[in-house]
Amino acid sequence: MAASLVRLVRGGVCRSLNLHRTAALAPARLEATTAETRPTVRPKDAVAHQQLSAFGEYVAEILPKYVQQVQVTCYNELEVMIHPEGIVPVLTFLRDHTNAQFRNMIDLTAVDIPSRQNRFEIVYNLLSLRFNSRIRVKTYTDELTPVDSSVSVHHAANWYEREVWDMYGVFFANHPDLRRILTDYGFEGHPFRKDFPLSGYVEVRYDDELKRVVAEPVELTQEFRKYDLNSPWESFPAHRESKDAPKLEAGDKPPVTK
Amino acid sequence: MATTAATRAAGGAAKAVKPIFSRDVDEAKRRARELYRAWYREVPNTVCIYQLDITTQQGREKLREMFNKNKHVTDPRVVDMLVIKGKMELQETINVWKQKTHIMRYFHESETPRPTDFLSKFYTGHDP
Amino acid sequence: AAYSVMLRLPAVSRALVGVSQSKSCLAPSSSVRLSIRASSNLVEVFVDGKPVMVEPGTTVLQACEKVGAQIPRFCYHDRLSVAGNCRMCLVEIERAPKPVAACAMPVMKGWNILTNSEKTRKAREGVMEFLLSNHPLDCPICDQGGECDLQDQSLMFGADRSRFTEGKRAVEDKNIGPLIKTIMTRCIQCTRCVRFASEIAGVEDLGTTGRGNDMQIGTYVEKMFMSELSGNVIDICPVGALTSKPYAFTSRPWETRKTESVDVLDAMGSNIVVSTRGGEVMRILPRLNEDVNEEWISDKTRFAYDGLKRQRLTQPMVKSASGDLVTTSWEDALTRVAGVLQGAHGSDVAAIAGGLADAEALMALKDLLNKLNSDTLCTEEVFPMTGAGTDLRSNYLLNSRITGIEECDLLLLIGTNPRYEAPLFNARIRKSWLHNELQVALVGHQVDLSYSYNHLGDSTQVLQDIAAGTHPYCQVLAMAKRPVVVVGSATLQRSDGAAIMKAVSTIAQNARTSSGVEDGWKVLNVLHRVASQVAALDLGYKPGVEAIRNNCPKVVFLLGADAGCITRQDLPKETFIIYQGHHGDVGAPMADVILPGAAYTEKKATYVNTEGRAQQTRVAVSPPGLAREDWKIIRAISELAGVSLPYDSTDEVRHRLAEVAPNLVRYDDVEEANYFRQANELSQTVNQALLADPLIPPQLSVKDFYMTDSISRASQTMAKCVKAVTEGAQAVEEPAIC
Repeated sequence: MAASLVRLVRGGVCRSLNLHRTAALAPARLEATTAETRPTVRPKDAVAHQQLSAFGEYVAEILPKYVQQVQVTCYNELEVMIHPEGIVPVLTFLRDHTNAQFRNMIDLTAVDIPSRQNRFEIVYNLLSLRFNSRIRVKTYTDELTPVDSSVSVHHAANWYEREVWDMYGVFFANHPDLRRILTDYGFEGHPFRKDFPLSGYVEVRYDDELKRVVAEPVELTQEFRKYDLNSPWESFPAHRESKDAPKLEAGDKPPVTK
Repeated sequence: MATTAATRAAGGAAKAVKPIFSRDVDEAKRRARELYRAWYREVPNTVCIYQLDITTQQGREKLREMFNKNKHVTDPRVVDMLVIKGKMELQETINVWKQKTHIMRYFHESETPRPTDFLSKFYTGHDP
Repeated sequence: AAYSVMLRLPAVSRALVGVSQSKSCLAPSSSVRLSIRASSNLVEVFVDGKPVMVEPGTTVLQACEKVGAQIPRFCYHDRLSVAGNCRMCLVEIERAPKPVAACAMPVMKGWNILTNSEKTRKAREGVMEFLLSNHPLDCPICDQGGECDLQDQSLMFGADRSRFTEGKRAVEDKNIGPLIKTIMTRCIQCTRCVRFASEIAGVEDLGTTGRGNDMQIGTYVEKMFMSELSGNVIDICPVGALTSKPYAFTSRPWETRKTESVDVLDAMGSNIVVSTRGGEVMRILPRLNEDVNEEWISDKTRFAYDGLKRQRLTQPMVKSASGDLVTTSWEDALTRVAGVLQGAHGSDVAAIAGGLADAEALMALKDLLNKLNSDTLCTEEVFPMTGAGTDLRSNYLLNSRITGIEECDLLLLIGTNPRYEAPLFNARIRKSWLHNELQVALVGHQVDLSYSYNHLGDSTQVLQDIAAGTHPYCQVLAMAKRPVVVVGSATLQRSDGAAIMKAVSTIAQNARTSSGVEDGWKVLNVLHRVASQVAALDLGYKPGVEAIRNNCPKVVFLLGADAGCITRQDLPKETFIIYQGHHGDVGAPMADVILPGAAYTEKKATYVNTEGRAQQTRVAVSPPGLAREDWKIIRAISELAGVSLPYDSTDEVRHRLAEVAPNLVRYDDVEEANYFRQANELSQTVNQALLADPLIPPQLSVKDFYMTDSISRASQTMAKCVKAVTEGAQAVEEPAIC
């Protein structure tokens, strides 16, 4: 934990292009041990960070079977990485535990990272109105492994899971009504997958002879506009700031241990 | 502590992949056959309700062709996934959520086949 | 002589500084000696604490480059002399009182160079502030935007706010010709262009006037920057002071797509990058290739691209009953061609390949005619066939290679004007003349080669005397350690070409013997003028159209033959002429059928340059209208004529190419040719008398340079250049742009 804390703190300092801080955290800034004076640099909020990491450790201790890693991002967001088997128990725990009460599912979405063995990262964003706090639960799956549906825990997940199914092709087991939600009937493929072409596979037009809309393989008459943006600034690579984003690889990091 | 949990879970996952529905190929095949039957029975209704300009025979031939397109698939999970998607399509067809254009899309009526021999490719300008 | 001494000064100063890049190109023996001496007294310096061993005399900047630490700069350029006037490269040296200019300061033993210390950064920021104090803030309308050194480096090293409230200086723009647009207010006086003009291009047109705040770059009197390499100042200009006139306000660098390709407008095969946007060639830039063009390209290469959009053949055409060419479909045109070919067999069919034909099309055409039992395949360029002729490759290649010029100590040019036939070859000669004390002599018409040379006369008698060993120059030739003889291909086109080849071959052989140079050294060289010639000869085409004139074939296939060496009058009235090419130029009007082909930016094709280096162009844009790749047209004809060629894809054609001439598909590699002695012996059998006519190359002055082929003849930019050099830069109207 200490090591990851150090890493996260450093990450927070290095990131110089952060959003301006809202006024809500102004007292916390004053309490910070090293006062950050530069206007464009986000000040550290040690208290909130401490509280979140303490709660993260608490969750990890109670649910050791499912929680693989807990981290607090540089923006002070608590993230819990869990095994896909544990979605229903973890979400139920977070909903019902007296000290958690994350009763609202704000968002459920997926991220496609094709280079990973489990290419899809499923992300649950939860809100606790009771404690004015948010938590993010992450798990993983691939194209063929079903994920347990969380509709039994949060009814809000119904359409979100349909969306993820439609856009990424992740199957949610025990979903009451899993069918497409955004794409057209008969649409093939899952548009948010990284290997789905930007132009799609088919284009539609009205055919005057057949008197209906027909779909045909897409043929681009205009060249795809691809901007070459990285060349000019590569001339002095040594003077660039390194961009090491916090690693979010699920399942392979040492978890929070005492 | 959670490390052990993770390795345990990972070890368990490596031994047997989590099935979608079917435990083995036979079960998956059964599901595919069931779907085929359901579609087969639905074709006359579809032709009638959507007022398609095709015969039931043509519809069933197309159905057979679409199923044959995936006959090389043996992984039960992939079969299950295809069955799930096929069921979804069937539901959309039965409930008339689809329109005529969606059904007729299976028949690729307006598409001209791409040239294959050198000369016709040359005339159309496609790269041989 | 005085001006040559003046020009050599930078070279001397360079040698004193010890920047020994050119030395590594010297003879192996001397470089061995150098490295032994060097290894004994390398000095150790530290870059940001990292130790590095460098030769004494290395500059701070080069030492930093050696460990991968880059130092920002504006005026310093690898291939130009050091000026040290922009001060951007200031770095802190530990325990030195002031920051030093890294590009000009030789390192001392034990120095610790701090490339990113607080003091260094502050120095850079200060220099940047001064540079920007007079630089206009017109990036949104500046053509350099996106590839501007000043933009990039001010982002990286400059201050994030301005303290400058005074007025900025403004400078009047100069009109230095139809190619280069000047917005001199943007100039930061790095003098790269001035140094390029005087050192690489060899024209003393640009210079500085005034001093301090009033310093200006310019030509002093209003005149044109008259050089065949002038476009390169656009690339080396770190800001938007010198930009391309034809490219002005057309596109931004980040929205163009870059395709690496090869130039075909001369026989050098310069490496280029074709920038395209939306299926249109926006501009052409050089691509680094140390063996061919370094990082320069000639103005024809760079600016003739607008010829690719004008006077193009976009649809097949056939001659109607009334004698007019009317557009038709491919089916119709190809069926007609196939019908005519089916009716004619054997020597009734002949083909002529032009200067821009690629190896794939040449191969397909040869296979087609061979299948019709004809072997009358000619190139437009003539080459003497008596003696060894084209049987020995060494007879028609630039055997020494372009880089070989940097190693030789004596160069004899015969009947050529490399400055306009191959500008980059000439730039190499000039580089070697400047840095390696190369001696140049010329037999042929006296021309301005941008360096001094020993003019031996322009009569063929001189050649004969040198070959016989009676000419006084023979003593100089005999002293040479590494002689090179270059004969222009135009000279060999004369009716006494074989006799000239014989004399040249003898001179080369004698020079080889007297110099005692090692066996690998090549003396005899032929400098070609068109891109297709070497590939055509490699594939077994016969040079010259004499055979066709004598044979009176029934069908003549012109593959981009636009040099006009055969006309309707040369052929019987009923001869059916097929023209395949990309421009409606000289060859097209006399044809019965016109088949639109692809230009070099529109096809993936192989070209072999004058050294015998196989290189390939790539598809940057698709051919306009119904035009198709050349070999595909021939392949389609063959199928309709009932003699299908056995390849359907570019790879299969290349496989066939490899069967016939494997060197054509070994890309970026030069296949060596040899048998000079045998070639010389064979040439001794020629008993042809030299004519008395003086040796005059076809391109004498810069106005002959711009329009030499169908693409550059169609180019408006090139036409403007011709007008500007004949009537002055003011004659070309300025478009009303800022």
